[in-house]
Amino acid sequence: MKRTTVTYGLAASALAIAAAWAALAAALIPLFAAETVIVIAFPVLVLFLALRWRAPGGEEDIPFIGY
Amino acid sequence: MIEYLVFAAAFGLLLLGLHRKVIARVQLRPGPPVWQEILHALKFSFKSTWVPKTASATLYVGVVLIGIGIWSAALFVVLAGESILILFAIYMLHKVVEHGFGLSSGSPYGKFGGVRSVISAASEIPLFVTIAAIYLFTGSLLLRDIIAYQEVHGPLLLIVPPVAIAMYLVILSKMPYGPFSIVESKELVSGYKTEHFGVWRAGIAVIDGTKTFVLLYAFVLIFIGAVPFSLALAIMTLVLVSLSFVCAITPMLSPFDSVTIQGLITGLMLVYVGYLWWVMP
Repeated sequence: MKRTTVTYGLAASALAIAAAWAALAAALIPLFAAETVIVIAFPVLVLFLALRWRAPGGEEDIPFIGY
Repeated sequence: MIEYLVFAAAFGLLLLGLHRKVIARVQLRPGPPVWQEILHALKFSFKSTWVPKTASATLYVGVVLIGIGIWSAALFVVLAGESILILFAIYMLHKVVEHGFGLSSGSPYGKFGGVRSVISAASEIPLFVTIAAIYLFTGSLLLRDIIAYQEVHGPLLLIVPPVAIAMYLVILSKMPYGPFSIVESKELVSGYKTEHFGVWRAGIAVIDGTKTFVLLYAFVLIFIGAVPFSLALAIMTLVLVSLSFVCAITPMLSPFDSVTIQGLITGLMLVYVGYLWWVMP
């Protein structure tokens, strides 16, 4: 995955979580709505944060598929 | 709210590190440091990462996202005191996630792990019996109602100990290095996790940490009731250490023996709940 794509994904998930948190704090949305946003955005945040942090390089390979 | 998720994942990983440490000390080995699983999650986060050529890319990546998502949802369900039926539905979804992990990579080790996760679905059946027995007493499946019932009548652990044991065995079947851990046994390398490396494996670490926290916290709330959070963490740690002792002194069962024993436990629990249903007014 391209680094720019990862950056956009990371930013989008972080913004979604921040927006849900702010909207909940301002009583604009109910708790379950904020939780739903976080349940969707948190996995993306975790993976994209790590994908941005990962070491570069690596060719696609074929795993051991038996003798 | 995200702070709850981060705390649950980190504390769950710490518990899994403690699990490895206790098993090692019982077996007279020094064992890894307690924070080893947290270090693993961080280490895998900066490894080179790609999708294997043989993998179904969408499923291969998607199951990691779904896995983190369902256990995040499970944590919110527990914190909100919602229905344990939702919690256990999520527990069942985890089985689908394990299966997806195994089948998505194209590796035979992963596939065998995925297939074993399907046959070990027997370990989930005691959950239904647990739910039925709890409903017989509390008349509700909402976690907050179950907690309220215990404030009046005392912990369910003392009222229906066999049901607590059944759920304890369900948690045991999800612990690594345990007698029922056939989905990731060593003859399958790492079972369904074998071909998920680098960032994907870091995602699995987050899933495992959150899952461990949610299951142990739910156990405390369902069978002991509302206690101060610090005490709940201490009880969760004690329950985990007892699970570690069981794992340390019990060999891993063969898949068929594992399913047979879980089936027998389910049968015993059905008889017990049938008896309760018969004698209760």
